[in-house]
Amino acid sequence: MNSSVTSVGQPVERSVARAIRDAADTDDACARALAAIGAGLDVDLVAVWAEDSAGGASSCEASWARDGAAALVGLDRDGLLARRPGLRTAVEFPARSERGVLARIECFAARPAEPGPGTLASLEVVQAQLGQLLERRRAEHSTDVAFLRHRATLQAALDCVITIDHQGRVLEWNPAAERTFGIAAADAVGREMAELVVPPDQRERHRAGLRRYLETGEERLLDRRVEVEAQRGDGARFPAELTITRILVPGEPVFTGHLRDITARRAAEAELRRSRARLVETAYEARRRIERDLHDGAQQQLVSVAMTLASARSALGDEQGEAGELLEEAIAELKAATAELRELARGIHPAVLTEGGLEPALRGLVRRSPLPAHLVTVPEGRFPAAVEAAAYFVVAEGLTNAARHAEGASAVEVAVGVEDGSVTVTVSDDGPGGAGLDGGGLGGLADRVAALGGKLTIDSPPRVGTTGKAEIPCEL
Amino acid sequence: MSRRLLIVDDHAGFRRTAARSLGAAGWDVVGEAADGEGALREVERCAPDLVLLDVGLPDISGIEVARRLHDRDPDLAVVVTSTHERADYGELAARSGARGFISKLDLDGDSLEVLLKSQA
Repeated sequence: MNSSVTSVGQPVERSVARAIRDAADTDDACARALAAIGAGLDVDLVAVWAEDSAGGASSCEASWARDGAAALVGLDRDGLLARRPGLRTAVEFPARSERGVLARIECFAARPAEPGPGTLASLEVVQAQLGQLLERRRAEHSTDVAFLRHRATLQAALDCVITIDHQGRVLEWNPAAERTFGIAAADAVGREMAELVVPPDQRERHRAGLRRYLETGEERLLDRRVEVEAQRGDGARFPAELTITRILVPGEPVFTGHLRDITARRAAEAELRRSRARLVETAYEARRRIERDLHDGAQQQLVSVAMTLASARSALGDEQGEAGELLEEAIAELKAATAELRELARGIHPAVLTEGGLEPALRGLVRRSPLPAHLVTVPEGRFPAAVEAAAYFVVAEGLTNAARHAEGASAVEVAVGVEDGSVTVTVSDDGPGGAGLDGGGLGGLADRVAALGGKLTIDSPPRVGTTGKAEIPCEL
Repeated sequence: MSRRLLIVDDHAGFRRTAARSLGAAGWDVVGEAADGEGALREVERCAPDLVLLDVGLPDISGIEVARRLHDRDPDLAVVVTSTHERADYGELAARSGARGFISKLDLDGDSLEVLLKSQA
């Protein structure tokens, strides 16, 4: 505490004004001003009581003691008096600003003292001086707190937070960025960000984008999540999710980028896709095997039995009689059983699909359709077995649904094509529309198509008809 | 037309019953084969007038065998058969150069006769 700035005999407001003028910062100004008050009023202790808006006990915001004792900041009045027994209130006055009373200034002395009329007049001025000072000091402190909180947030963030100026130079580089890129903040700050994190072949585009934004205001990247390729300090590249926002500060534009390494997520997604495709593939193989077993086993045997019975009937020649009738009946029932088994096997997997591909398989479907159906186009080539099977069942389900639900539909059209590396399948009817994907058969089919990386959509406006469309990538 | 018949099917049971049934209908079963390669060899060896060919052979598909036989000798009559129905395979069979398709369920001397006559 430098007491040379105050001198007894001078009006208090003048020494307070000088104290504030000479101070290095608001904390220093506050300390000097309280000292000036203490000396000017000839008291032992000056305390600033912050006004408690909640009406509770106010606490000491700043203090000065003649004997240079430690600050009493944070104590309430009882706590303060317990520390400094024997003191009593000499003078008390508010500190005001335009917004009202900010604090009460209480001066304590061991000896009773009465301020004279000159002192009271001075205090009118000091009230305003201290009011302004406290207001400024509080504003600064709250800014400090906000700054510290901001920095702590950046430090704790798991995402890389990188702030750049309008020239693309790094202003801030948080610990997550240090870890992700393997570059220390001390090495990053001040360097061009593009050089640090953008792969060399993409840097020019990045710089051009920043220039374009600054010159024309045209932006393509701001305020949305994008997936980009980034490069670590050792040159290794990795996929990242990036959001760039312009932060509103006075002066030249400043941008903050939030970047997350999504290598693990990408790998997990790829594995998920592969495992779904494997499941579809496995299911496909299982169905094909069941169909083959039915065909090679039970069906063949039933056919052989039927033919043997037919031979037996022929052997009876002209003597058919009752035996002939019984044989005839048995043959008819066997044929019915075999036909039923054939339908069952086809529902599991159509053998003709394996044998001849989509074209003959779809012709068969269209021919059996309960509603008149027309196969408009179908590519002749072959596709991966799981793709052909999915396309086939999309058509089968579409035809079944049209017959079942599209009351009043008169015809169905089926078209299969190849677009952009995908097999596209459309099944359209001219029924009442209003259909959705929630039907059990369609839902399962949508999953099956999705597992192959494709998608199934239903467009079904009322009174226009229903069109189901599947797009299935050919490359598995 | 003479009636030399070659039966191609990987199921011995079917070959036996078909031989019996068609033999009774006047066909002379001159050979049998259990797979596609065997069929191509047997055709050379026994010079049939008609080949009854199953679709589902273990090595080459019956449709492909029909195509190769047709390429070699367009006059050789080939009839494709299967437990599947005509709606499934009729078209594939026709495109392979075969005379036609008969479901095994409908196969007998009469149905074969009808098919061949319609093609003559």
